[in-house]
Amino acid sequence: MSEILFIGLSLSSILLLIALGLSITYGAMGVINMAHGELVMIGAYTAVISGIYLNINLFLALPLAFLVSAAVGLALEKLVIRRLYGRIIDTLLATWGVAIVLQQLIRLEFGLSFFGIHIEGLGPGLQNMNVPSFLTQPFEIGGIPIQPYRSFIILVTVLLTLLTWFLMYRTSMGTQVRAIMRNPQIAAACGIDVKRVSAFTFAYGSGLAGIAGVLLAGFKTVMPDMGASTVVDGFLVVVVGGVGSLLGTVLASALLGQINGIFAILTNDILARAVVFGVVIAIILWRPRGLFAFKSR
Amino acid sequence: MSQSKLFKYGDWGIYVLFIVIVLGLPLVMTDVFWLNRIAKYLVYGMLGIAIALSWGYAGILNLGQGLFFGLGAYMVAMSLKLQSYTSLQQGSENPVPDFMLWNAEPGAPTELCCITSGSWLWLPFQAQGFGMAMAIILPVIVALILSSAIFRLRVSGVYVAIITLALVLLVRLLIIDAQPVTNGFNGLTDLGWLTIGGVEFDPYLVSTYYIVAVSICVVLLATRWLVSTRAGLILQSTRDDPNRSRYLGYDVAAYQVFFFTVSAGIAGFAGMLYVIAAEFASPSFLDISFSISMVVWAAVGGRSSLIGAAIGAILINTIEATASETEMFQEAWKLIIGVIFVLVVLYMPRGLAGLAEDLAGLFGKSRDSGRTRRAQSSAPAE
Repeated sequence: MSEILFIGLSLSSILLLIALGLSITYGAMGVINMAHGELVMIGAYTAVISGIYLNINLFLALPLAFLVSAAVGLALEKLVIRRLYGRIIDTLLATWGVAIVLQQLIRLEFGLSFFGIHIEGLGPGLQNMNVPSFLTQPFEIGGIPIQPYRSFIILVTVLLTLLTWFLMYRTSMGTQVRAIMRNPQIAAACGIDVKRVSAFTFAYGSGLAGIAGVLLAGFKTVMPDMGASTVVDGFLVVVVGGVGSLLGTVLASALLGQINGIFAILTNDILARAVVFGVVIAIILWRPRGLFAFKSR
Repeated sequence: MSQSKLFKYGDWGIYVLFIVIVLGLPLVMTDVFWLNRIAKYLVYGMLGIAIALSWGYAGILNLGQGLFFGLGAYMVAMSLKLQSYTSLQQGSENPVPDFMLWNAEPGAPTELCCITSGSWLWLPFQAQGFGMAMAIILPVIVALILSSAIFRLRVSGVYVAIITLALVLLVRLLIIDAQPVTNGFNGLTDLGWLTIGGVEFDPYLVSTYYIVAVSICVVLLATRWLVSTRAGLILQSTRDDPNRSRYLGYDVAAYQVFFFTVSAGIAGFAGMLYVIAAEFASPSFLDISFSISMVVWAAVGGRSSLIGAAIGAILINTIEATASETEMFQEAWKLIIGVIFVLVVLYMPRGLAGLAEDLAGLFGKSRDSGRTRRAQSSAPAE
């Protein structure tokens, strides 16, 4: 039983890892960022490339990937998303285009492959990230086998969630973000620099995607379209949890991850995912605003 | 509607021009390989029409249109699979799909009734007409149930998009999981040809092209007529302000359900034609990227113009096919198309159709019509 719960917890933590960034960019800013998966992918490639060229390990790659993805996110906000606030469907379409562009840039090695130049670690092929050996050897505590890498992911996810909670609810920047979430016009009237705060918020959400990418790279092959499949899962978690609710996102990822884990054991992986989608549809039909949405006036 | 006469005629002129080009193409293009390709892109054009109808005119963004396309495709593919020569060679009197033999339990009888669990579902598809009818009936029924639930519960805006997206993913997984009935990931391949009244429609024949070409023209004119009827006008009013329409006494949900279902029926029909031209059905029809691509084609062509969306879909796919002749350019083209999507959303939200209207407005000095059109087409953001 505890094993099933651990599998569910492990699936939940990965969902939460991806959804955490989205709950900020979508929840706080009303931007459906289809390129979020590509920011995850960029984080993973940052880990691969920094491993090859700088010879640094997983732990140093985490902050580096945060910075790289945040920088890409900041550029994305300034160039594209800034012009689309309030047009939620258009953000979806434009960022879908951005996602394709980012994928192709990695695949074509920023266009250098046209000139016959090859950069190791980029290109259409598969890449791997080295995980320190003490994170790959399973060990036992009190007779229960522990998967160290999965536990590490859960630990990082918990820490990031706490950090995000602290930033959102205990700092003045977070208060400004929450004010913009409720009503950008009134927030602006109160003297909040909406543009600046939004740009930083978006960059932070993107940076979280970068960290998720590094952790995913530890157990998945790294390739240009690795992020595309994750973004939809992340969205469903955020919508089920309730837009703009950090607690909702955490609980929704726990719920969906456990459902996925339990049904994967009862039936198979494919049907388990189908059940998750079914639950999501039912919840959205029942409560379109999600389980923990705030009342807006 | 205060449209100038010039614009009105120009509008119909584009329809006539489109139909003449589509029907006259085989006279100019003698390469059957390319004709078959264009037939597939005309099917995509039909999907563009379906998207424009639900998104542009009803304000309902369906990110799961691939579901209806896929259902239509699978229904007719099941019938054509049974007509394939491979299905006749499995050592039984009646045709049995080859993949069922690979999935059968040892000792199972080689009969459609019971070779694999669920294979009996294929029995009625021995009649080709059944498959063809179901290709439209099944998507319509699914759309009717789905949209009734969505719109009666007054789910709106982006939540509709998320529900349809989750549903298309769900059905895709079910199809992949039901390997003994659907051949899972591999889909249905090696299909037979469509046969009507003893005439076989080889996908590389001009007559098969005409089946698709005539279909898209009929669908285009029928939807154009539909949106100009009273129901179409009420629909557009529900798009612009659902609450006001509700207060005026209209049953908003009924109109939304009707047009959502029509759009799904067109997508199912398109799926059927695609299988006839392309000779396969696969779960990739239900991929998210395909459903979103349809929306993007419509956005590039003009989300609130039926013919614009159709032309957008056909144009993008034709250019893509030309570009992918050389391998290096194929990847570069994807990059370019990504940039185009972003630029169109940012700077040309009304797409090619909007551009054409503005140009027509400049020439005809009838800027009023352009302005009223703009007011109409600015669909609510949420």
